[in-house]
Amino acid sequence: MISDQAKKEIDIWVAKYPEGRQSSAVMQALTIVQKENGGSLTNELKQAVADYLEMPTISVEEVATFYENYNHKPVGKHVIRFCHNISCMLNGSDELISYLEEKLDVKTGEISKDRLVSVKRVECLGACVGAPMCQIGDQYYENLTKKRIDEILDGLK
Amino acid sequence: MNNICLKSIDKDNPSSLATYETMGGYKVWRKILNGELSPEKILEELKIAGLRGRGGAGFPTGLKWSFMPRNQEGQKYVVCNSDEGEPGTCHDRDILRFNPHSVIEGMAIAGYVMNATVGYNYIRGEFMEPYYRCEEALKEAYDAGLLGTNIKGSKVCFDLYSHLGAGAYICGEETALLESLEGKKGQPRFKPPFPANVGLYGKPTTINNTESFASVPEILSRGGQWFADLGVPNSGGTKCFSVTGNVKNPSNFEIPMGTPFSDLLKLAGGLRKGRTLKGVIPGGSSTPVIPAAKAMKMTMDYDSIEKAGSMLGAGSVIVMDDTTCMVKALTRLAHFYYDESCGQCTPCREGTGWMYRVLKRIMDGQGKSEDLELLLSVQDKMLGNTICALADGAAMPVESFIRHFREEFEYYIKHGKSMVENDG
Amino acid sequence: MMVDIEIEIDGKVVHGYPGESLISIADRQGIDIPRFCYHKKLSVAANCRMCLVDIEGNPTPQPACSTLSSAGMKVHTNNEKAKTAQKAVMEFLLINHPLDCPICDQGGECELQDVAMEYGSDISRFTEGKRIVDDKGIGALIQTDMTRCIHCTRCVRFGAEVAGIVEMGATGRGEDLKIEPFLSEGIQSELSGNMIDVCPVGALTSKPFRYEVRSWQMNSIQTIARHDLVGSNIFTQTHKNKVKRVVARDNESINETWISDRDRFSYQGLNSENRVLIPKIKVKGEWKDASWSDALDFATNGIKKNAKEGSQFGTLASKNATLEELFLLQKFTRGLGSDNLDYRLDTSNPFNAKVLESNISLTELETIDHALIVNSYLRLEQPMINHRIRKATLNGASVSTINAKAFNFNYRISQSVLTSPQNTVATLSGVLKALLDKSSQTLPGYLNSVTIDQTHIDIANALSNAKHPVVVLGEHVNGNKCSDQVAQLVANIAKASEAKTLNASLTGNAHSAERVNFKPDNGKNALQILSSDLTAFILFDIYPNFDCIESKNAIEHLSRDDAFVVVMNSFDDESVLSFANVILPIASFYETSGTHINVDNIAQSYSASVKSAGESKPGWKVIKVLADLLNLEGFDFTDSSQIADEALSLSPSFSEIEVPISNSEMPNVATVWQYTPYASDVVVRHASSLQQTRIGQMSEASVCKATAKLLKLSEGDLYNGIPVNINESVAEGCVFVHTHLPRQLGVI
Ligand SMILES: Cc1cc2nc3c(=O)[nH]c(=O)nc-3n(C[C@H](O)[C@H](O)[C@H](O)COP(=O)(O)O)c2cc1C
Ligand code: SF4
Ligand code: SF4
Ligand code: FES
Ligand code: FES
Repeated sequence: MISDQAKKEIDIWVAKYPEGRQSSAVMQALTIVQKENGGSLTNELKQAVADYLEMPTISVEEVATFYENYNHKPVGKHVIRFCHNISCMLNGSDELISYLEEKLDVKTGEISKDRLVSVKRVECLGACVGAPMCQIGDQYYENLTKKRIDEILDGLK
Repeated sequence: MNNICLKSIDKDNPSSLATYETMGGYKVWRKILNGELSPEKILEELKIAGLRGRGGAGFPTGLKWSFMPRNQEGQKYVVCNSDEGEPGTCHDRDILRFNPHSVIEGMAIAGYVMNATVGYNYIRGEFMEPYYRCEEALKEAYDAGLLGTNIKGSKVCFDLYSHLGAGAYICGEETALLESLEGKKGQPRFKPPFPANVGLYGKPTTINNTESFASVPEILSRGGQWFADLGVPNSGGTKCFSVTGNVKNPSNFEIPMGTPFSDLLKLAGGLRKGRTLKGVIPGGSSTPVIPAAKAMKMTMDYDSIEKAGSMLGAGSVIVMDDTTCMVKALTRLAHFYYDESCGQCTPCREGTGWMYRVLKRIMDGQGKSEDLELLLSVQDKMLGNTICALADGAAMPVESFIRHFREEFEYYIKHGKSMVENDG
Repeated sequence: MMVDIEIEIDGKVVHGYPGESLISIADRQGIDIPRFCYHKKLSVAANCRMCLVDIEGNPTPQPACSTLSSAGMKVHTNNEKAKTAQKAVMEFLLINHPLDCPICDQGGECELQDVAMEYGSDISRFTEGKRIVDDKGIGALIQTDMTRCIHCTRCVRFGAEVAGIVEMGATGRGEDLKIEPFLSEGIQSELSGNMIDVCPVGALTSKPFRYEVRSWQMNSIQTIARHDLVGSNIFTQTHKNKVKRVVARDNESINETWISDRDRFSYQGLNSENRVLIPKIKVKGEWKDASWSDALDFATNGIKKNAKEGSQFGTLASKNATLEELFLLQKFTRGLGSDNLDYRLDTSNPFNAKVLESNISLTELETIDHALIVNSYLRLEQPMINHRIRKATLNGASVSTINAKAFNFNYRISQSVLTSPQNTVATLSGVLKALLDKSSQTLPGYLNSVTIDQTHIDIANALSNAKHPVVVLGEHVNGNKCSDQVAQLVANIAKASEAKTLNASLTGNAHSAERVNFKPDNGKNALQILSSDLTAFILFDIYPNFDCIESKNAIEHLSRDDAFVVVMNSFDDESVLSFANVILPIASFYETSGTHINVDNIAQSYSASVKSAGESKPGWKVIKVLADLLNLEGFDFTDSSQIADEALSLSPSFSEIEVPISNSEMPNVATVWQYTPYASDVVVRHASSLQQTRIGQMSEASVCKATAKLLKLSEGDLYNGIPVNINESVAEGCVFVHTHLPRQLGVI
């Protein structure tokens, strides 16, 4: 269920915590297997993480459903996480989100027909001086405008 | 400006060890390794400096460190709170990106003072760029022999690891952060016991904010008094402020405590052309909003902002001009708390949803005349009745927005639309 | 030792211990503080915020459950500030809670309803639409209605802290916080029903009880659960002469506040259709209903005719019979001049209980620092005893096991030695030898040729390093031909390591049977009774298919033409019909008064909760009438308490014996046959909901690869009717059967 490569990555995290505290690595383990699975988690993956870290499965489920960054349904190849919180809102995020939805013909929370992108409204991402902003993958995109969004979308494959 | 935590921001290769060392970095740490600086002396300097925790609560850092049972046997931990998630706040991100070594050195010093040999830096999960910078910095520090066991033969030990979150504002609350670090969902613990007694993995633990740690090396290198004198009484030193919202040049500014708000506003380029100031949230979304007139009179320090009816909080100044619909702004904040409540306490779990729904209903044109009293009553019932301060943070904006901008709310309820022309 | 602290609650000076929570002090004083998440046996969560009180000097109200007392504190539980806070919390709790108490299964016994009534809270201000939570379902025992859940997490904490199996969790966050298991496979814990008791509202209720009656229509009767060695204290709740529900009754030294699922849900068996309701006699091979007097005459005549000599008569009784029944039956049997009697039907080599007695109390079990568990899946066999050991482990005790299979305990096993039945004597001898070596004691001769390995030394070390060790012997020993030697070795090991012992091999009311000496002094034991040429029998609540170790032989033997078999049963059974001559219907659990003696030798008497089913009668009355009809002396009892008094005045007197340890011939492959806990007696076997649980459905024959090869078994094959599962958790040379199906194998 979990690839050897993923196990290696998880082990790096496990090594950071004291003996017997491998469950501290659960969030990263979920992140790693989620990435490998194209951006979302399945029951089998959560079970596998639980087994690998010797945790009760329900405890893994608690973690997986508590944190925002785990997806429980398939997502697009790229997830555009658009901040709609106050500083971004004051700088026009709502308008840009609408623009994005129109342009991609998707609603927030959905996947584009070509399954390339999904759009998600998220709370403050801690880059408020660069409002409005969004996150795609590991990358932040700040001071967004419609033009900038066009460029970014063009760059997504 | 930008003298301490953000001082490398304009340098080339700002996050590198070399840059840090040319600015005097690791001087204090080396002194410690040479046995030239005692824990007692450090605590004393911090007290003189008047450094108060930068994470929001403003608790004196030196005092907090002195609570750790440093002579108690067994593992102790130092934890850095880099979970920065308070809407309007983003200066810790810049410290992590541009000055990670100051955080490392600050944490190492803390570990030495409190006899804690292991540290974790809890970085919010979305901060991948800062995380990679921190990882690089850690590698540099280890390679330079500045971390590890028996560092440079000094018998001092300190290991430091980065931990990544996964998206939960509540993990910024220190005990939720500890739960999360233990691999659980981030539900705050009730206190007492305090982390200094029962913290990470049940061991004595001290948690400080990124900026708090980052300030420590410079304070110790230049002296507590130097730092204190930069600020005003009861608010020593400088502080990073994120100025966001309706200003021309939103940015982070590390300025002396006590700087007039109006000066800070100017630093941020002032308002956009033709706009007037409506209100300011001075300390991040959880702090009460202050109407323009009062804001223009306050200075950026704990006491003055409190006098103006709010809190310095995390130093996140959200500026709102006359184009802002206060009903919409509050609804957005209410949604945030509704979304981020961990859900364990009844008043917070139920109250955040209740308030958001009432506000949403008003926004949908279905407001009722009794809604404002209802909102005020609900927020009042949440205040002070929960395990952590998230519920307070959710309640206070509601109270202050309605108090200061009541007519906007009444207008919305009555007319089903915003009083602000270009909105809704 | 404990220093007293003085604080003031509502103007009253009260005392507490340092570090004691305010709510605990208040509870002791009878000062009522509303609460939902606090439970005296669980860790503090402080999440419901219902217990907010005003503490002088504190700006905000503080929760009484998580606030520790300190000298001089002045607490107000019902001043303006406290009441305002409590009312506020109450309103928050109710906004999303359904207000249809009249149709809720918890109605009338809901903590939320109780507190809400007291506050008369204004709940009309919330108009935003209530939250509806969809349910996953958690199995056959517990009905979930999660829309009613108030997220107090008592059930979650119960699972993690008491049951020791983390199954329920709180997923999601904020308003979406949801109490649920990972998948809807059903809860596995043998203690799961306690979640119903701890749930303050109607979110978790008894599934079998659903739609039955309203709680206030029932009578609650104090009684004792009879399935195991503990005798947990319970209330039976009855309506129209039927037991409708069983709930736990507090008894700190016995079951605290918990009961096992077996004790809670077995009552369903009583209401099964399979009860014997009318006396029956077999005439010329045909069964006919009969009147009581005809049936009794038929029985006594048959006995008189077929057992001219006392020695031709034998009696077998269930280990679950009451003290009174056992006492009268042995008196009856001995009165007829017979010493052929036994209750140890599932043992191949009944050993004298003196070989291995139980000398540790339930509460003492919590204080042990090491337990060696031999031949037992204790968690399922004796849930409440296991619970005490789990509590000890939470305080740092370690546990090692010598078992034929590695079981799923709810605590960590530090050393697990896999041993087949045929090797158990050798393994125990090794441990004993290692122990004696350590203290340089002289070895008895039988240990000379014994070889010790590291596992023996590890266990010996664990025992000898412990200050308060205990050795527990469990059910699996019963099928072992050398069970007496195993018991003797366990006793010797305990002696050598100054350990206490707990004999859990014979369960139910075995301590009553021992007290009244319901076993032969010189006569025949169960196996002998069922294989020699006796001609008249009484079988008391026995169902040989399940209960007898050599069930096939037993049934054949009892079916002989010259055998006259009087059966006193509460349930119908095909095989019984095949050999019995007369069936006298007797009362089952909760239908008769009686006494249970538990592992602590505490005799607990109870009265009947309901009238016995149909025409059935309490067993003791039937035996008494039979005795009268046969003119036996000493049966002038009018009431079961007189019988109990006489029985309890007996002190068990058997001679101490020393079983010689020898090399017995053993088969290459041996089978351990264990019933699920829900097949351990006739009542629970008829409890339909328990049968549907994951524990109840268990049926597999585990065998390791090597042994499977030897026996030419592959995965999924049937081994004596049980599907084979090949895995390496079983000792070599052994098949471990865990099932709810009747036993097909005898002595091995
Ligand atoms: C809901 C909530 C969110 C918080 N978020 C943060 C945060 O993102 N970063 C932070 O440093 N402190 C945050 N805090 C404050 C921490 O609990 C804690 O007081 C702080 O990390 C202590 O460090 P300091 O003394 O250096 O300020 C938060 C508190 C609450 C109640
Ligand atoms: S106040 Fe809210 S966020 Fe804080 S612990 Fe309680 S429910 Fe969780
Ligand atoms: S199901 Fe019952 S016990 Fe469990 S959290 Fe909900 S209300 Fe509490
Ligand atoms: S509000 Fe959008 S990044 Fe902070
Ligand atoms: S009983 Fe104290 S907070 Fe729930």
